[in-house]
Amino acid sequence: MTEKELIAKIKQLRQIKPEKEWVVLTKEKILGSEPKIRWLGLFDYQLRPILAGALMALIIFGLFSVSQNSLPGDILYPLKKISEKGQAIFVSKSEEPKVKLEWVNKRLAELKEVALKNQTKKLATALRETENALAEAAKDLVKSENIAQKEVVEKAKEMIVKKEEIEKTLGVEIGGEENENFTKVLAEKLIKDLENRNLAKEQKEILEKAKKDFENGDYQEALLKVLELSYNNE
Amino acid sequence: MPNIKKKFSKIYDKYVEQIYRFVFLKVNSQEIAQDLVSETFLRCWEAFKDKKDIKNPRAFLYQIARNLVIDYYREKSKVVMVSADSAPLPDPREGLEEKTNKNLELERIKNCLSALKEEYQNAIIWYYLEGLPVSEIAHLLGKTEGATRVLISRALQALKDKVSEA
Repeated sequence: MTEKELIAKIKQLRQIKPEKEWVVLTKEKILGSEPKIRWLGLFDYQLRPILAGALMALIIFGLFSVSQNSLPGDILYPLKKISEKGQAIFVSKSEEPKVKLEWVNKRLAELKEVALKNQTKKLATALRETENALAEAAKDLVKSENIAQKEVVEKAKEMIVKKEEIEKTLGVEIGGEENENFTKVLAEKLIKDLENRNLAKEQKEILEKAKKDFENGDYQEALLKVLELSYNNE
Repeated sequence: MPNIKKKFSKIYDKYVEQIYRFVFLKVNSQEIAQDLVSETFLRCWEAFKDKKDIKNPRAFLYQIARNLVIDYYREKSKVVMVSADSAPLPDPREGLEEKTNKNLELERIKNCLSALKEEYQNAIIWYYLEGLPVSEIAHLLGKTEGATRVLISRALQALKDKVSEA
């Protein structure tokens, strides 16, 4: 074999070729898998703070949700109050008395539950919470110009009924000074409101009686009368 | 990353056959050749990702492949230079065998080539088979161009002798 022939034969070894399928697969294996891993890593890395944030939000949301069933003296009770105050931020000035009365009603409901469950340790806290709510509602009523809204009157009426019911159950007077102040302010405001309205003869008579009760210091009785009138007058 | 991928993809397409041939002629097994070539390109890709300055990808690939083949034989305690008579039979699955069965002379050359010492094998594969310029072979072998020309000439003579003997 000459040198030339040998070189020609060597060149024929170019027939040695890898399988096309293997070539494609190997390339995919080298290039294809790598970015996926990287993207996954990047995704995880980016997702981590989002997931942590979402988890925190979920925990907080869960705690706030659970706290809605808590009673005064419970660990989660402060969260319930925070949640209430948070919701009150979005309430208009004119709606505030209604919201505060709603809170008083809630505190009364809690007090009733504590009493029914015989949770004596929580009773003092529940009473204090109710009194505070009453004092706060009274403050708002003093500031408020228009309290004769149907909803406010309804809430006030509901509150008085509940309060009386609990007072009977517990054998204690709820609120004391706070309650008297609240009743006085509410009765006074409603009497003034009714004086400026056109009332029927019978209604005028009830109003006069209410005014007398008020002058005699029986604010509770005066309030009950004007609440009835205000409600019927709406 | 997409640019590096694209660049590497072109290099892969351009050199995969050459590197495969180079490895196959040394290990004489399709399966082993595939494994070693995969590893060669994987290492090259890792170097690309690390933004290593690879001026001559072909030389870089040959260098990795050479080292892998050496490691393979070291690990398997096999000798690279085997005589033509005791050369392992080609892998029955490899395409070349089917094509070259009818051409015994070509098979004989392949066996004779694998019986040469590694330096001669490389010189013949790179110069006559793949057509690499002498300067690049010199760089790969770490020799001067003059010494490389002499080596190529001696390698061809050695192969010619082997073929005549076979």
